[in-house]
Amino acid sequence: MNRKLIGALVMSGALLLSACAGATTTAEDSAGGGEEATGPRTLLIYVDPVREAAALAYQASVEGEIDVTIEVLGQEEIIAKVALANQTGEGWPDVTFNPSNNVGVFQDPLNGYALNLDDYVDPAIIDGYNGSGDWCVIDGSYWCLKNDLAQTVLWYDTVIFDELGLTVPTTMDEFAATALELAGTGYVAGAIGDQGFYAGYLWPSGCPISQVLDQDTVRINPDAVECTRVFELVQPLVDAGVLDTRGSFDAGFLEDVARQQNVAMTIGPSWWGQFVIRPEDSWAIPAGRMAAAEMPSWSGETTNWSGEWGGGVWVGNSNAPNPQDVADAIVYLATDPDMRADKVTFPGYKPAFEKWAAGLSSDPYYVGDVTAAMVVQAPKIRQDERPARFDLRGQLGVLGTELQGSGDVEASTRTFMAGAAELAAGVGYTVVK
Amino acid sequence: MLRHRAKLVGQINALLMFLPYLVLLVMFAIVPIVMAFQVSIGPSRLSPEGGIGNYMFVFQDFRFLSAVGNVALFLVIYLPAMLIVVAGLSLLLDTIKMKYTLPLRLAYLVPAGISGSVAILVWYFMLEPTYSPFAGIFAEFGITEGVEIFNTSNLVYIFALMAFFTGAGNWIVIQYGSLQSIPDEILEAARMDGANVFQMAFLIKLPLIRKYLVYMLILVFAAGLQIFVEPYLISSSVYPGLAKDWSLNQLSYTLAFLGSNLGAAMALSMVMLLVSVVVALIIIYRTDFFDEARLKVKDKK
Amino acid sequence: MSTHSTDQKQISKVSPKTSTLVRARGYSAKAAAWLVMILFAVFSIIPMLWLVLAPSKTQVELQRDAPLSFGSFQGYRNAWENLNVFQDGRIVDWIINSIWYTGVQVLVACAVAILAGYALAATRLPFRKTMLIVTLVAMIVPQVAFVLPLFVEISALGLYNTAWAIILPGSFYPFGVFLSYIYFSSTIPAELYDAARIDGSGDWGIFFRVALPLAGGLIGMLAFFSFQVNWINFFLPFVVVSSGDVLTLPVGLGILFSSTPALSPQVGANALPIRAPEIALAGMIVAIPILIVFLASARLLVRGVLAGSVKS
Repeated sequence: MNRKLIGALVMSGALLLSACAGATTTAEDSAGGGEEATGPRTLLIYVDPVREAAALAYQASVEGEIDVTIEVLGQEEIIAKVALANQTGEGWPDVTFNPSNNVGVFQDPLNGYALNLDDYVDPAIIDGYNGSGDWCVIDGSYWCLKNDLAQTVLWYDTVIFDELGLTVPTTMDEFAATALELAGTGYVAGAIGDQGFYAGYLWPSGCPISQVLDQDTVRINPDAVECTRVFELVQPLVDAGVLDTRGSFDAGFLEDVARQQNVAMTIGPSWWGQFVIRPEDSWAIPAGRMAAAEMPSWSGETTNWSGEWGGGVWVGNSNAPNPQDVADAIVYLATDPDMRADKVTFPGYKPAFEKWAAGLSSDPYYVGDVTAAMVVQAPKIRQDERPARFDLRGQLGVLGTELQGSGDVEASTRTFMAGAAELAAGVGYTVVK
Repeated sequence: MLRHRAKLVGQINALLMFLPYLVLLVMFAIVPIVMAFQVSIGPSRLSPEGGIGNYMFVFQDFRFLSAVGNVALFLVIYLPAMLIVVAGLSLLLDTIKMKYTLPLRLAYLVPAGISGSVAILVWYFMLEPTYSPFAGIFAEFGITEGVEIFNTSNLVYIFALMAFFTGAGNWIVIQYGSLQSIPDEILEAARMDGANVFQMAFLIKLPLIRKYLVYMLILVFAAGLQIFVEPYLISSSVYPGLAKDWSLNQLSYTLAFLGSNLGAAMALSMVMLLVSVVVALIIIYRTDFFDEARLKVKDKK
Repeated sequence: MSTHSTDQKQISKVSPKTSTLVRARGYSAKAAAWLVMILFAVFSIIPMLWLVLAPSKTQVELQRDAPLSFGSFQGYRNAWENLNVFQDGRIVDWIINSIWYTGVQVLVACAVAILAGYALAATRLPFRKTMLIVTLVAMIVPQVAFVLPLFVEISALGLYNTAWAIILPGSFYPFGVFLSYIYFSSTIPAELYDAARIDGSGDWGIFFRVALPLAGGLIGMLAFFSFQVNWINFFLPFVVVSSGDVLTLPVGLGILFSSTPALSPQVGANALPIRAPEIALAGMIVAIPILIVFLASARLLVRGVLAGSVKS
């Protein structure tokens, strides 16, 4: 047999195979959602563990009509999963629970995952958010529904405050002063080695980290006064040992500080109480101690802004053959009052919120009505930060890592923001100061 | 005439026997490379023309150099450690009587089950002072906090430790086996010449298993270059972001699925593949390890 | 090779006094050697021991008690039940998948490798040299390097998210082919082949009647390495499969890391009852099979894998 012939056959076989496979890819790439809905209606829902209960409730509510499959995964995996589905042209999750910034990634035309909800969601629902759902508005349309608001408030321990004769700070300068009074007492004003630093300090101050101005421009500027004033205020607190550079969930921080009831005050999101402060496995602070106050304001600002730590969004699959089902599921998951009443987080949708707050405001665990501060802060989430096309959430991990490692607030933030700027450029933004 | 026909039948039979492997080789080694190459020179958001745009993007990515540095440093620590410990312990085992060393050799194999995701699990608990059996030892060095161990500057040592722990025992047993294959006559002769234990080990045995050690280093290098699981998992759980895009493979994954840039990801994969293949070819053609294999093929022409 | 004539002179140089010294130094050196070896053995065992003992304790006991203490047998049952809470027993899916994917991979990989190695070693295969070089290269470049390119191809072939996306690439076993080639060309004497050929057997006949019966050790080794690599594989299944019920146990373990409070406290203490003991149990289920296979095959490894000659 002719050896050259064999060789040629093998090689051309390989090339032919790759060419065919390559052709199939391009054909499927342009596939949109035009399929006819045949057979039973199905929905694939991706949630994180905290939202699994909500998804199960939804599954029960549509039993018999829609076949719901639920997958639980970590929040950092969702972008990758959707990207995998985009590449293969199949297997998209129909409803996903996401960290807030993901809607920016999914709305990106080159990604194409996010379903435009304008045509499928009742405007009354949107109104029910009272403006707090506007995070989801990109280019004039709604691309997600906010699951909850995670506005930061000032949590404080009334027992420690009484003991030391402290007053609740209303400005950031007062906050710093009060924190410094804790020096040497063994009490701290919180831990900043995680996303909490971005949500509780940088964002409310207005430090431009993800200020998306339009589809092509984003403002990221570590030299802005809104950033430098944070560095100047926070570094002395870190140096004095009253702000812990570990993460709030760090095993060591839990052991030595939090569970010893040594946190005098901390800027934390609205879900901090039910999710972190209270549970036995977490800080396990006893009843009758913790209260929530409004955010301290930065000097020169007329509003005492909040940032957000968490606050997830539900995004739908634009490729689904049954977009109305997708939208209905999202509406239920984000807003159903009965389902949301006993959940941990602050619902963004007013009717759901009212039911949630009714339970919490008279809860004897807390001192006073913690929902009062949360309600005040809800419309005060600073609107400068907007969803971006790059994975900001992943980059936030770098901020925490840097803070834990060096304790140098300015250097850590600059590293974090430099990376964000690179990521932004990598997805086609022009980064401006 | 008959001989030609017999030869033909022989070739067809041979081809049939080889065919399943050939199919797998083409389908799962060659075709993916070709396709990946096509994607790597294809268009992407920042280089709509394609060509070398994706490659330039990768080389200029802010994470590329540090990932190269991380992997390089990891290899620089990991490879010599493997060489010294594996060679040392296998020689030690060989010097002692065989039957007494069986329990030891079995013990060395035990860590081989702790690989990949299990390695992260076990090593997190081994190194986190709150849980660790070695907490006492850590305390002696003044280490009481998790963050003192799990921080960016220690990562390279942690990953080297994990890789070493999983692989060393396996290789010790294999190299011990190689030592068994040294002909007794050589050892006897050396003993007659009055060689002491150390001379036996380092001047006689070690050179004779040199090529197997080289082979081990090559495999370990190639695998180490591709490290992904351990840094990825540690950054997606306990210490979020700690080892984000730490290794080249992680960067490739991030580019593909978090940065919506499959072209750049494939470019990076191609570069890494190229490095591995070049190293492999150098080893095959420039050392004597595979000569025996190639010579056998030559003979049978 | 030997120089017996010089031996006499050298032996006579060793006086009784020197020999005691040498012996004393020899003893302490030997003690040091044993110490090193035993220390390494101890460090090798401790983590696995921890892993096996951890599920017997509760989370609190794990933090409070000695790390290598034993809790109770009920601890294992509790840990298993808690693991099953995650997505209603998803872990069982993972275990079953791991078992049958790896099983098929090992079977196919070994069968294919033995045939191919034999073809390279003992037949008139065209392009043998090229095939050997390609195999050597593929052997040195680990599969991990191919994973992202494989993803592109697998999605193009429509195999994405199926068991075959994992099984088929895992059946490509160049190292097995190389081992098999070495084995068939060096362990089986050429005379045996020739004799069979003279008797009139064709290539297939020689394979089944001469080569295969002598390949016991080889098959063991091939199965061993193939099993180890495929059972523990993370990156490939992670990328080419997305649905939880198609995934394997190592990847499932990774999912547990990021979705349960055991290693990700930020997930929330109350979300799932999966803490350190439960995760340790899952890790145990991944690690123990490899351990068993390794210990059972230790003899095979000892007999000189790389040296090529596996004497039965």
